Amino acid sequence: MGFMDKLRDAFGRPPAKEVAKKRLQLILKYDRAGLPPNAVEAVKEAILKALEEFPFIDTSGVNIHITESENTKGKIEIEVPVRNN
Amino acid sequence: MADKVICITSGKGGVGKSTVTANVATALAMKGYKVVAIDADIGLRNLDLVLGLENRIVYDIVHVVEGVVPPEKALVKDKKTKNLYLLPAAQTKDKSAVKPEDLVKIVEELRDKFDFIFIDSPAGIEEGFKTAVTPADTIIVVANPEMASIRDADRVVGLCEAMQKPEPKLVINRLDPKKVARGDMLDVEDVLQVLSLDLLGVVPEDKNMVSYINRGEPAVLFEDSIAGKELRNIAERLLGKEIPIPKWTYSEGFLEKLKRLFGSE
Repeated sequence: MGFMDKLRDAFGRPPAKEVAKKRLQLILKYDRAGLPPNAVEAVKEAILKALEEFPFIDTSGVNIHITESENTKGKIEIEVPVRNN
Repeated sequence: MADKVICITSGKGGVGKSTVTANVATALAMKGYKVVAIDADIGLRNLDLVLGLENRIVYDIVHVVEGVVPPEKALVKDKKTKNLYLLPAAQTKDKSAVKPEDLVKIVEELRDKFDFIFIDSPAGIEEGFKTAVTPADTIIVVANPEMASIRDADRVVGLCEAMQKPEPKLVINRLDPKKVARGDMLDVEDVLQVLSLDLLGVVPEDKNMVSYINRGEPAVLFEDSIAGKELRNIAERLLGKEIPIPKWTYSEGFLEKLKRLFGSE
């Protein structure tokens, strides 16, 4: 590593181990659920499209994520917020 | 004893399965327990090298499966360590030469004659892995604090669960405290947060390990080996002794940081 790389690593960027941990936590979530890495994005896109026709739904607030599940390999949870007015 | 038949596995290759097997088996034999280490990596035998027994092999596990000799006849007695025996893998056959039921039968025949039976699993998650895990009461997963190894270890844990085996215990191998201090390498806590397994031990990087393996002398035979010391502790923990596990971590001071910044390393 050059001096500038070292400087950036020492004082600027998050340590490599933190990056590794975050990546691993995400990878294992998908691995454990048996899902391909783009699965959640694909599901989200399809759901957003379907929800567009309902004016009372705030599509910008739709939240989708994988969680562990007791009965199945994994579970995709989707939060669909209703507009305030 | 519930922890009598112990399979050492990892998913990923090259993380130190055979090294951990050879050393923990040797450490228990040094304490007076009668131990056999079975090399279940058919076609890629290695455990004999780590133990320095490669020149003494006459029969191997496939001869036993084929009924050429009974299991006891195929065992290689370790000359350096009393009470330690090796059942070598075959070098010429492939992994399908030993089926799960074959290994179960061999383990049953040896069970009453030994205090501990270690099974050194092949890398991978195919038939050879399943054969190695099937007879085990206890499974130890060896992982390096490194992305691919941890991901593979997690796969192995899932497969063990699917096989209705008890949850594996974790040995973190080749942790480099210097790299951890720099924030370059995952530390023990990081690995445990990701894998959430019972931790059996942490073996630090030991620059002498290559030469121990080259000489066929397990690290646990050497009082001054830092890896050897932790490998002996793993053996003690298998016996139920509570020995605290060092976390191998410290914060790099400002001066150290500066030194590293301007140094050549």
